[in-house]
Amino acid sequence: MKTMFLLLKRNPLAVLGIVILFIWIFAAFFGPSFLSYTYTEMDMDHQMSLPGEYNHLLGTDALGRDVFARIIYGSRSILTVALMTSLFSSIAGILIGFTSGYFGGLIDMIFLRIMDIVMAIPPLVLAMVVLGILGDSTIFSLTLIVSIAYTPATARVARGALLSCKGNEYVDAARIRNESHFFIMFVEILPNTIGPVIVEITARFAYSIMMIASLGFLGVGLQPPTPDWGMMVIENKSIIKTASWTVLYPSLAIASLVIAVSLFSDFVSKVMIHEK
Amino acid sequence: MKNRPILEVKNLDVVYKTLTDEIVALKDINLQVGERESLGIIGESGCGKSTLFYAIMGYLPSNGNSTGEIFFKGENLLEKGQKEMMEYRGNRIAMVYQNPYSSLNPSLTIGYQLDEVTMFHRRFSRKEARKVSIQSLTDLHLGDAAGIVHRYPHQISGGMQQRICIAMALLCRPDLLILDEPTTALDVTTEAVILDIIGELKEKYDMSLIYISHDIGVVNKVSDRIAVMYRGEIVEKGSQNTIYQHPDHPYTRALINCMPRSGIVKEEVRLNTIQGYVTRRSAAETGCPYIARCEKKAHDCEKGYGLKENSPHHFSACTRAYAVDVPDRERTALKKVEENYDEEKNILKIENLYKYYGRQGKKIRALDGVTVSLDRNNVLGVVGESGCGKSTMGLTVSGLLKPTKGKLFFDGMDISVSWEKRTPDTLRGIQLIFQNPGRSLNPSFTIETIIGRPMKKLLGIKSKVERRKRIIAILKKVDIGEEYLNRKATHLSGGEMQRVALARAFSISPDLLICDEPTSALDVSVQASVLNLLGDLQQESGAAYIFISHDLNIINYFSDYIMVMYLGRVCEYGRKDEVVGPPYHPYTEALLSAVPDVDPSLKKRTIRLEGSPPNPTKKIGGCPFAGRCHRQIGEICINVPPPRVEFSDTHFVYCHLSKEEMQGISS
Amino acid sequence: MVLTLAVMSFIIFVLVEIMPGDAAQTVLGQSATPESLAALRESMGLDDPLYIRYGRWAGAFIHGDLGESLYMRGVQINTIFWRKVGHSVILALTALVFYVPLSLFFGVLAGVKAGKLTDSIISFFGLATMALPEFVSGIILITVFAIKIPLLPITSIIPIGETLWENLNILVLPALSITFVMFGYVSRMQRSSMITVMNSDYIRAAVLKGMPQGYVIFRHALKNALLPTITIIGMNMGWLFGGLIVVETLFGFPGLGSLTLSAIKTRDVPLLEASVLFITFIFVISTFITDMMYAFLNPRIRFKRGEV
Ligand code: SF4
Ligand code: SF4
Repeated sequence: MKTMFLLLKRNPLAVLGIVILFIWIFAAFFGPSFLSYTYTEMDMDHQMSLPGEYNHLLGTDALGRDVFARIIYGSRSILTVALMTSLFSSIAGILIGFTSGYFGGLIDMIFLRIMDIVMAIPPLVLAMVVLGILGDSTIFSLTLIVSIAYTPATARVARGALLSCKGNEYVDAARIRNESHFFIMFVEILPNTIGPVIVEITARFAYSIMMIASLGFLGVGLQPPTPDWGMMVIENKSIIKTASWTVLYPSLAIASLVIAVSLFSDFVSKVMIHEK
Repeated sequence: MKNRPILEVKNLDVVYKTLTDEIVALKDINLQVGERESLGIIGESGCGKSTLFYAIMGYLPSNGNSTGEIFFKGENLLEKGQKEMMEYRGNRIAMVYQNPYSSLNPSLTIGYQLDEVTMFHRRFSRKEARKVSIQSLTDLHLGDAAGIVHRYPHQISGGMQQRICIAMALLCRPDLLILDEPTTALDVTTEAVILDIIGELKEKYDMSLIYISHDIGVVNKVSDRIAVMYRGEIVEKGSQNTIYQHPDHPYTRALINCMPRSGIVKEEVRLNTIQGYVTRRSAAETGCPYIARCEKKAHDCEKGYGLKENSPHHFSACTRAYAVDVPDRERTALKKVEENYDEEKNILKIENLYKYYGRQGKKIRALDGVTVSLDRNNVLGVVGESGCGKSTMGLTVSGLLKPTKGKLFFDGMDISVSWEKRTPDTLRGIQLIFQNPGRSLNPSFTIETIIGRPMKKLLGIKSKVERRKRIIAILKKVDIGEEYLNRKATHLSGGEMQRVALARAFSISPDLLICDEPTSALDVSVQASVLNLLGDLQQESGAAYIFISHDLNIINYFSDYIMVMYLGRVCEYGRKDEVVGPPYHPYTEALLSAVPDVDPSLKKRTIRLEGSPPNPTKKIGGCPFAGRCHRQIGEICINVPPPRVEFSDTHFVYCHLSKEEMQGISS
Repeated sequence: MVLTLAVMSFIIFVLVEIMPGDAAQTVLGQSATPESLAALRESMGLDDPLYIRYGRWAGAFIHGDLGESLYMRGVQINTIFWRKVGHSVILALTALVFYVPLSLFFGVLAGVKAGKLTDSIISFFGLATMALPEFVSGIILITVFAIKIPLLPITSIIPIGETLWENLNILVLPALSITFVMFGYVSRMQRSSMITVMNSDYIRAAVLKGMPQGYVIFRHALKNALLPTITIIGMNMGWLFGGLIVVETLFGFPGLGSLTLSAIKTRDVPLLEASVLFITFIFVISTFITDMMYAFLNPRIRFKRGEV
């Protein structure tokens, strides 16, 4: 605890990241109750109003919708989906990566081969193609597909973490007292890989936000009327010259969240290194 | 000091700042090295011996700070900037490191790495530099020097790499050569050759030498004077003989007495132990660094502490090594247990065991037909250099590896299978102690779980209360208190961890314990207590041991029978007195000659074995040792497998030499 | 390699098959009568069983015939595809020219100065851009360099009748957008591999041999520290094309990315196959080249272990 505090003191940027992250989480939970507009409400008299004008903090878009309200509501979906995808892909990655690395041999070869094939397509393209063909993405399909797209990457990390522990003699000691494979993998080894796994989950969180925002931007993310940051950017891209706030502020929202999460994840990895 | 000092360290302190506190790495070091003098520095890990030399070279990590003075030929090195230090590094002062492979750049040729030294310091052209490099390699008896310069480090064996590093250090004819554990990563026979060469070069080049090691025996071979370091301080310095025969400091004395040294066997002498372990030193701590572990401490010993010249050229910080107000602990020998003839004596039989790794075509022959048997209550010491198959043998017996060919019998039962197919009782009966206790105890489990789990799995004790009772009892036997039950293994010292590992093994009363280098990851001062404990536990339980080690001194101290292995085959087997005395197998002879001795009066002639063990993927027609054997008698050794020559019921040797020839070999 | 491509292409076929709706539907829209749909399906050959359609497509594909677009009736994919691929490749190469030297240089610099202010600044920048979506950096770049200071065009459309070569300035902002995220990733990798190398025994040995710092960095450290990063860059060539899709959409750049996106939206299977397979192919081939290069640069692989 004390070292954690000292590390925080040494990394003011990490503190900044954590604060911003908390602001966003707070905004997602409680923000809407402070808003004077909903995300669908169209202020027909004030379309494309400048930030600050007519009680619209960040202005309105071409349809007169309040940009600020849409950003606050948008934080809900992106945070939920990103959190779930980073958790699911990590869990799936651990299951697959551990099984593959632990048994080795043929099983490992097959798993690696499959992962190679999936990884040959960039995750964004994979998610985009699948979601695009599926059409009308929901929170469920979005979470599922993004998780799947990231699973090979997390599986690799988990496999690597397992392999770095598997050579330890406590694993041998467990074998020659007849422990089950399950016990060895998840009771003996898993707790010792928790460092890299946590680092992976937090880093994956940042990448998930990136991917979800990009999918929204490409028009295959959550469908209207749900407000989505990425979608807000592409919707208003054509009026960037006249009403730059309609695209700039959602972009800055994404940037601030992504950077905050990256700073946080970097701090987590520093703590983990220090723990060792 | 007979010569003018070339290096003089005065009141050197080094402090490291960490996130949470300050650690004292060196405290008030005073040291002199004269011209053409060779100083040995002894110390356990963490005593600051390496820090000392990085401080001299001006190469401390950024959180390290040194104060004091370091004079090299009258110039204070601590006042020099990095630029000025370049003049000294590699030119006037050169270093050789512990791990030759990682000290050579993997992506540059050997020649390139040698040439640059003289090109920088001597402004040689590439051509001149190359000539000097090749000459230097030749000086180190590296056969094909002109060919070696074109190679990359990974294409060369460890012993050769270290010779190259030494050649590199000598390129500019430095005034001072610092060797930091240069042979620790190498096999004994290779080590012996390198130590021999170092001694020879010292004479030839007229340079001063500092040799750092944890092993007094090794230092004895190259140094006249010895300094003993403990927790960042020099506690004693003096000549080789004084240090060995009349140590003044209790630590020095204890350190020497806790080493298994030649001629000492467990039936006669119990090793001395030092309680506790080396801890970090915080800035607040003052006084004697050894006080927490000292047996001779008295109420007034803090007062006069400090390095003083107590007799000519013999300095010591304390003179209570033989103080009589605190009597020496009694050192009883281990008694051999009464044999119990009711039981079948034999516990393990290995018949013609083969173990190959890897796939067809690239098979590594780790075990190439080994036959041996072991009785209850006996310790079989298995000795050999890295890659000789001794660990593979242990792993195969334990069931972690499945034999490729051959049979294993445990208590009369065929166990030539791997662990999945063994009965719980066999698994219980054979226990394994690993080299590195930090890796053999799961760092995220508590001590209670670590010891309790095998009890539950293999003894079927379901009740937690019952298990706890037994765990506490067994912990007491290994001298670990009840308060450790809920600690995690990571919070223990190396010695404590190995004790817990022993407790885990003995908690389920094994019949056979396989110890694979059980003390080589430990400091000397801790090693002794683990060895004693192993002996006590054996005496009490009557279990048989397979004791695997590269260290012939330890094997000789601890075993009843010794098996010498080379390249997956047995060279010699016999009762320990039969193996360590003549007649010898030529390889045993070479090994014995290479073992470093703590007692400097035991100067031995070293047999220089050339080369390294042949490629284990090749099938060997004749004697595996033929390529390096100093007694090789021609074609027959290379082509015909050597016969088994028996000297007694228990002593045999595989060699083409005649009985008479072998009997003629004396040490 | 061939296996990867074959499996990929088949998966795409199956995916489109099991999803509701098809190209005929998209061509005719929701209000189409069942009869007209059936007629169009028949003429498109959509009624044949999956494996026959796949076989037909694959057979032609092997001979270099990418087939006819399903959505843009009568258009041979070969006629539009390669031009757009060419555009994308040029954009990718431009990005590469931007980010590789930048990230290697700053990564090495940060690694050498580890713990110092320079390192903190570079590391923060890398961390900030590491997971920044390309369109976000793109929007920021547009706002600054196209709106606030009108230096460069907002969109990267090639006017009809002109070629890319006459409009090279449209490449700058898209390439820079990609540079951002890649810089974050690659420079961080480079930094950590540089630190590993600088802390290695052989660097210590070189310094204590009296070699000057600059020489140690360039002669002893750099080659070993660059090796892993080169692998990373090679492996990420495929991923770069993922970023391209986003950037091309943002800037309206006529390349592979926008083509892929429209192929998805119209369920144009042959076009989608061509696009996705090309991206996969880029990944596979760059991995292959990277492996070769790695082996060539690394003496430990180039020269087999052989004891003297
Ligand atoms: S006798 Fe006292 S001063 Fe001497 S070593 Fe022991 S504790 Fe230290
Ligand atoms: S058989 Fe020949 S080569 Fe082998 S040890 Fe005996 S003498 Fe040496």
